[in-house]
Amino acid sequence: MIEFDAGIAEQLSQVTTTSSVQVRVGTSNSEMVLASVLQPLIQGFGMGGVYITASKTAPNVIEMMNTIGLDISPVHFIDCVSPGILGGTQNPYPNIGYVDSPIMLESMLLRSLHYLENSGSQQNFVILDSVNALSIYNEERILAEYLHTFINTCQNRQILSLIVNVPDQTPAGVLANMDLYCSDLIDRGQVVIN
Amino acid sequence: MLGAPSYERDRCVTGIRGLDEILRGGIPYGSAILVAGTCGSGKTTLGMEFLMNGARAGEACAHFSATEPSVKLLENVRQFSFFDMSAVDQGLINVFDMDVLFSWLGLDKSTFNLDDIDAMVKAITDIVNTIGVTRLVIDSVTSLCYKVPNEQLIRDFLFKLGKSLSTLGCTTLLIAEITSVGGTAHRSAFGVEEAIADGIIVLGDVERMGHLLRYLQVVKMRGTDHSRAKYALELTRSGVMLTPMLKWGVSD
Repeated sequence: MIEFDAGIAEQLSQVTTTSSVQVRVGTSNSEMVLASVLQPLIQGFGMGGVYITASKTAPNVIEMMNTIGLDISPVHFIDCVSPGILGGTQNPYPNIGYVDSPIMLESMLLRSLHYLENSGSQQNFVILDSVNALSIYNEERILAEYLHTFINTCQNRQILSLIVNVPDQTPAGVLANMDLYCSDLIDRGQVVIN
Repeated sequence: MLGAPSYERDRCVTGIRGLDEILRGGIPYGSAILVAGTCGSGKTTLGMEFLMNGARAGEACAHFSATEPSVKLLENVRQFSFFDMSAVDQGLINVFDMDVLFSWLGLDKSTFNLDDIDAMVKAITDIVNTIGVTRLVIDSVTSLCYKVPNEQLIRDFLFKLGKSLSTLGCTTLLIAEITSVGGTAHRSAFGVEEAIADGIIVLGDVERMGHLLRYLQVVKMRGTDHSRAKYALELTRSGVMLTPMLKWGVSD
């Protein structure tokens, strides 16, 4: 049995649904950090949620969490990776919706809101995984604009937003904006020694 | 005394998420609005959701279909969770095939003259008046205008229709097909519809790295302040959803 990061659960117990949390991960610990974020939200606080995945396919994330021992079926996935893979949308999971491409940023937001409107859950979260993956396809200025809109929309609708990034690989301007807009920081990013 | 105007026109609340906010409360009651859009931009869905929300509020609604048979239209719209077929069964949404109406009026011809246009306007307004329709969608006015031989007659037709429906207190969406929505392009196929309408809502696509993103923009709306920004439009199972389009993501 893998141990979750208790410090993350402790930090999340302090946030509210109007909070926006910057989740800094490293390249080698991202799976454990994400599992440690999801576990208290789903099992501890009984929240409903959307997981926007631009880093890996949704089936990949689901199977990874299942391996760790976390049942992630209450979470709805918005997958913008699988449509770019031939046959990628053919899988057995009913809790996945698709957006054609990571450049369709507004669609990700609207589909998240659409799902949460119909989820029936009183308290909800949205995880955006990750800024780094989105930066492959989107210019810095549109990505910064999107995060600004995304975080404020979630705050306005009392949806807890969690923005995942690998800090030493995130465009400087985008990172600076997140520091400004996000209310909380879970920092499990790698220490980089130059 | 100077200050904000105290008079506000009554609104027809569309119920379409985001649109009423863009229109500062809804469409001014009794207006004839041109909904101009490219193919696949969501015109028909927007029109049906507008009617369905009216039916839910107990309003009598009507849809005149000129582009596809009503049976096919209803089959297509049933995929959306906002649509409730019982509204049709209960007579709250009345769907008419224009072909049937033409046949009934003896207008089985390729070109209409002024008398034919008057007969068509009278038939539509008689139906609206008899049923007490307060929300109407004509899909599409472009298809109807193809039978009208010149701009003056199209202008007469739309002016008479809009005036009659407005007098009856009916808020109307005139759906129009366009092939391009570039900055200087016409917002209607014949170039006259946009001058007659009380409001213009444009639906189209923004291309971003080869992908088409739907957008909605209210270009004109008499009787109300409104946003003129572009809004990203998503067609979900629950219907139309709108959010401001990212400024750095609009190329033109």
